[in-house]
Amino acid sequence: MVHNKATLTLDSNRTVNSNAAQSKKVPRKELRIALAGNANVGKSVIFNQLTGLNQVTGNWPGKTVERAEGTLFFEGYNIRVIDLPGTYSLSAYSMEEIVSRDYLAIEKPDIIINVVDASALERNLYLTLQLLELEVPIVMALNQVDFAAKKGLRIDTQKLSETLGVTVVPTVAVTGSGINELLSAVVEQATSETKVLAHEVVYGKEIEEHIEAIETLVVSKLTQLPAIYPSRWLAIKMLEKDSDIIAKLEAYKDGHALLGLVDEIGSELETVHGETPPVIMAAERYAFASKIAKEAVTVEASPRISLEQKLASVTTHKVFGYLILAGVATVVFGAIFAGGNLLSEWLNSGLVWFSDGVAGLFASFLPSVVVDLLVNGVIGGVVAGITIALPYIVPFYVILALLEDSGYLPRAAFLMDNVMHKIGLHGKAFIPLLLGYGCTVPACIGCRIMETKRERFLAAFVVMLIPCAARTVVILGLVGRYVGLPAVIGIYLFDLVLVFGLGRIAFKVLPGEPVGLIMEMPNYKKPSAKTVVIKTWSRTKEFVYVAFPIIIVGSIIVEAFALSGLMPHFVNAASPLMTWWLGLPAVVAIPLIFGILRKELTLVLLSTALATVGLGVTSLSAVQMIVFTLVVLIYIPCLATIAACKKEFGWKKSLGIAVIDTALAVLVGGLAFRLLSLFM
Amino acid sequence: MQLRNRHGHSHKAKTPVNVDGSVPLNSLPEGSKAIVTHTSGGLCAVRRLSEMGLTPGCEITLKRKCSFRGPIEIEVRGVALALGYGLSSQIFVQPIEG
Repeated sequence: MVHNKATLTLDSNRTVNSNAAQSKKVPRKELRIALAGNANVGKSVIFNQLTGLNQVTGNWPGKTVERAEGTLFFEGYNIRVIDLPGTYSLSAYSMEEIVSRDYLAIEKPDIIINVVDASALERNLYLTLQLLELEVPIVMALNQVDFAAKKGLRIDTQKLSETLGVTVVPTVAVTGSGINELLSAVVEQATSETKVLAHEVVYGKEIEEHIEAIETLVVSKLTQLPAIYPSRWLAIKMLEKDSDIIAKLEAYKDGHALLGLVDEIGSELETVHGETPPVIMAAERYAFASKIAKEAVTVEASPRISLEQKLASVTTHKVFGYLILAGVATVVFGAIFAGGNLLSEWLNSGLVWFSDGVAGLFASFLPSVVVDLLVNGVIGGVVAGITIALPYIVPFYVILALLEDSGYLPRAAFLMDNVMHKIGLHGKAFIPLLLGYGCTVPACIGCRIMETKRERFLAAFVVMLIPCAARTVVILGLVGRYVGLPAVIGIYLFDLVLVFGLGRIAFKVLPGEPVGLIMEMPNYKKPSAKTVVIKTWSRTKEFVYVAFPIIIVGSIIVEAFALSGLMPHFVNAASPLMTWWLGLPAVVAIPLIFGILRKELTLVLLSTALATVGLGVTSLSAVQMIVFTLVVLIYIPCLATIAACKKEFGWKKSLGIAVIDTALAVLVGGLAFRLLSLFM
Repeated sequence: MQLRNRHGHSHKAKTPVNVDGSVPLNSLPEGSKAIVTHTSGGLCAVRRLSEMGLTPGCEITLKRKCSFRGPIEIEVRGVALALGYGLSSQIFVQPIEG
């Protein structure tokens, strides 16, 4: 292997005083800075420290799925901060990487804060080198220096700064240490008259010759692209066969011919090195990152086996790992169900009194139709949301925050990789699947941690079949209460079988190749109470913002539908399906319609609907209860979920899922009715 | 380039050993150290692995192997990384003795 030598160098003679750039830079009181860095290095924590916002943070890679923005004031400057998604590279491998580099190249923020994990400097410098290649102004936040010190690593920031030609500020984001110094460095560099550009990354002689050959072509043949991206960077990306740049080039008149020439140059390099250019370039960058890290880092104490490492080892163990996972799952769901029930009862008793009071107040001066619309529609919706959904979602978010802040989730994903492969997904998909037990909406959005579009869609499809807190309410409140625990467990197990069966079918039907798992396993750390509270609060707020407007509007519409007197006609129309196929009283169609708004409403309205025909919930047989619950579990996702899904995948696919799920629910319900009637 | 007799390929040999003496990463026992010689497979996978630091010549430690064709956990360049079974069989390494 020839190319393992550290042939990269940094060219330090690039102190440029570019007047052209300076003339535009009249002193102004506005600055735009972007945060760039690997996943899971504390970028979101720094963002929160800078802006005081509550961007959701977590100890698993990939949770910043959309870029967040905030502003702050510092030394008279109005600074806009953009938190880019965490990436390991700036290649065209994932959407996040393309979005990040295009933002940097096109929007040209004044300064990029490169957040770097001090305890894994070598791997983090790989991105830093690519930022230098993109020729953007950088200030480095050397984060988690405390953790590095714990690992026995001392980092010479002065040396690192000199080697790279960028200002390096040590920080400990969680405590806020170094944040002020970081801001001072940013403002100083952004406003300084003479621009000292960071050093240029220079590859080994052979590679340099090839890059230069391509750069000459780029400069002579292209006009538009070099106006956006640096020409040398373009040359490097073309040599690396970067899919995004290639696609952009194909759109040009001479682009195709140019790519042919570049290919020739690339294959020449390949014959010399015996590896493809992308691998050669990655190897070169890493060898260089390794060299820089070795020079700047002193290992002071030999790393001893800490409690965290022991924990990391035992939680991925062949036997103990799975036992711990099962234990964690039991505790999590036990706590959510027990806590949720308790909270739900308390809130319910408090709010019933409130809504009765309001109804009485309104009745004194409004016509009864309006009172019905307001009380049953608006207030009823809000009350049901507060008393049914929130008590289960809030405890779930608290526990989720604890799990993700500690770093356990990637371990669970690791253990489940095998199982997830059966449905064509890898271990990471276990995380949104777990989220699905709380609420399907964030779980759908969480599917973005999957790498390809196909995997995102596949994950979202199975996530929607996971019983969320609302469906859990129905399972526990109906089957659990009147039929018994074994039936509840049976339904949960059946659901898992269904998820895997359908996941497997979808995996076979959807075209495309499955992608293997590549996931960083973060270090364990003690979750901080503050982070857990902030996270729970911001997620709950998000849920309320997304779900409550839909709940209220939907409740009014359905209430209006009921008041219009059309309901009996609908019940008649649905009667053959309900009674003959599903074996349920025809009026049960009404709660199922309401369930499209929120699944737990089906239970609330079941007794109301049955009462209109002189029945009660208890007059249903055990089989009928189970059939009803199965239908609620599987059929059309709630409106909020469809909205979230539409945002991710578009109308066609969202409606497709809704139709498939509804058809499936009817099929399963009818079969269950026939089969269960034989035994029960 | 080389040609291989399709029928002569032994299916019993559990660990294919390359000409240069390298073996697939997942054939090593837990706790072993090795040097990456090369990665095979699709361009996309190879590129991804090299971007995560698995480039020829780098040293890795196999920390954990899941049973039943499960993923592995390795340490590379000071970072713990989980790799799926398929990917881990595409990484060829030269074990370091001791």
